[in-house]
Amino acid sequence: MTFSRRTAQLLHEDHQATIQVIEALDDLIAKSRKKAPDTSDPAVNKVLQSASTAIEEEISEHFAFEEDELFTRLEEMGDVGIGEHLRAEHAALLPLGKTVADGARDALANGFTDQSWATFRDAAGELIERMFSHIQKEEMALLPALDDLLDAETDMELSGAYEAAHM
Amino acid sequence: MSSTGFLGGAKDRLLPVSVPFRFFLGAVLFHLAAWAVLFGAADWLAGHVGGPGPILAAIHLATLGVFAMTAIGASYQLLPVATRRPLARDWPTKVSFWLLAPGICILTWGMYAAEIAAMQTGAVLVCAGLVVFAVLTADNLRRAGSVALVASHGWGALAALIAFAVPGLLLVWDFGAGFLDDHSGLAAVHMVLAAYGFMGLLALGFSLVLVPMFALSRSLPQRPGQTQLVLAGLALTGFGLGWLTGIPALTWAALVAGAGAIGAYLWLMRTAMARRMRKRLGLSFVLIRASWALLAFSLILGAAVVTGLPIPNAPALFGFVLLAGWLLTFLTGILQRIMPFLASMHAAGASGLPASPSSLTAEMPLKIHAFCHFGALAVCSAGIVLDQTLLVRLGAGLGVLGALAFAGFALNVLWQLKAIRAGA
Repeated sequence: MTFSRRTAQLLHEDHQATIQVIEALDDLIAKSRKKAPDTSDPAVNKVLQSASTAIEEEISEHFAFEEDELFTRLEEMGDVGIGEHLRAEHAALLPLGKTVADGARDALANGFTDQSWATFRDAAGELIERMFSHIQKEEMALLPALDDLLDAETDMELSGAYEAAHM
Repeated sequence: MSSTGFLGGAKDRLLPVSVPFRFFLGAVLFHLAAWAVLFGAADWLAGHVGGPGPILAAIHLATLGVFAMTAIGASYQLLPVATRRPLARDWPTKVSFWLLAPGICILTWGMYAAEIAAMQTGAVLVCAGLVVFAVLTADNLRRAGSVALVASHGWGALAALIAFAVPGLLLVWDFGAGFLDDHSGLAAVHMVLAAYGFMGLLALGFSLVLVPMFALSRSLPQRPGQTQLVLAGLALTGFGLGWLTGIPALTWAALVAGAGAIGAYLWLMRTAMARRMRKRLGLSFVLIRASWALLAFSLILGAAVVTGLPIPNAPALFGFVLLAGWLLTFLTGILQRIMPFLASMHAAGASGLPASPSSLTAEMPLKIHAFCHFGALAVCSAGIVLDQTLLVRLGAGLGVLGALAFAGFALNVLWQLKAIRAGA
């Protein structure tokens, strides 16, 4: 997507980065199924490396920014329901992201057992489904709305702050 | 999450779950009724060329009952999100439902039993419901800001709605009074404007939003979207004028423009698929992709009907592929995606966390539906071409089973939603 507001474009780029990570996780789960994958395999290792860092970092900063700067503005305009729902989804996604990141770190250090793979697979599966659904909603209902929500000056200010925090 | 949050104020773009779901549930029940009536009237389908009776009833159970109900329910919830403008008021959506649902029942009963008064009463109620929908939608589109392309498709669909509803009323009154010189010609215009015009433009417009959203695809280029709209408008206008003036060249020009519109649409959808970030799209997109092929096939069959190619029972086959093939396949694909998606936005359990769409979805009924639906399309089509009642009945039987499975899926979504909310 392309957006006229820089803030929306930055959030969209975050979504793209997150999708790459969770698509790779989804592939790993689809290929391995019930059999624990070999974490010494470079491809598996790469997926776990990105899952151990990218998801947690991306979503915690991204979510906090949306909740503090965007949902509040949506709600001030009277558009309460969507922000309230997305906020609740953040509350579901954050602990899942942490569980998956912890599981990936543990697997990188110790490998998977059948038990730890089953636990990781379940948590990652739920994260993948919720994250796709969440991003779909934000891409459709939140990012396009920023055209109306932010004037050019506020957009520059918010996007500048967000970029600086991401560096 | 508090339910009051969702009920929200007039500025809230997210409507109460009951608004779209009453239409979706209606569509699910009419879906079952349409196949059941076709099952009972299988011997009438192959040779059907119009007139009251069970086939006309089955057609309208599908077009008004399934297609219009789905399109209206989806429009009420999705247009405010797409246009970024909330509906002015919620309550007229309920009025439109309570005019449409009984209206469709009375109209199709009148068609089934050839009862003129019932047909007229039902037609008036249906038109009144459509007027409420048109006024609400026009108000929302009027306030739409920068989503010009989706809004333009919406305006085109509303124009087509008027253009098919007025002939629809004339056709119903003509059954009693017999004042039309060319009843079957006007019926063909009515069907083309309803299916390709009203439903088609809504399908083409919403596809520009929903397909990239579900596939997580980058935004689609504007120009092919504008091209599909202009060509579709030319095709529909040309077809109507061709009938009015009796000039065959206009009908041919309409077919060429229609092929161009479909070509632009398929190119856009192919682009969305090629650019998508979500690789595994699931069963719903098997149906949606099949519907794209069936849309193109319907136009080829339409051209065959116009040219008089020697395909046995070509008008019936064209109508079946257009309605059950393209539109029913497309809408059941979309419905199975948006029902859990929208329900999950209204489902928060005791933990306060929202439900995931998969926790509201039952996969097995959807697999059964897809198997039966494709089987019904193939077997009924064969029955029409071979003029074999047994095959049509077998196909319609598969359609009934598929519709039952789909109803199971829809009821499960509602059941799960209710259970989650009760536990909150």
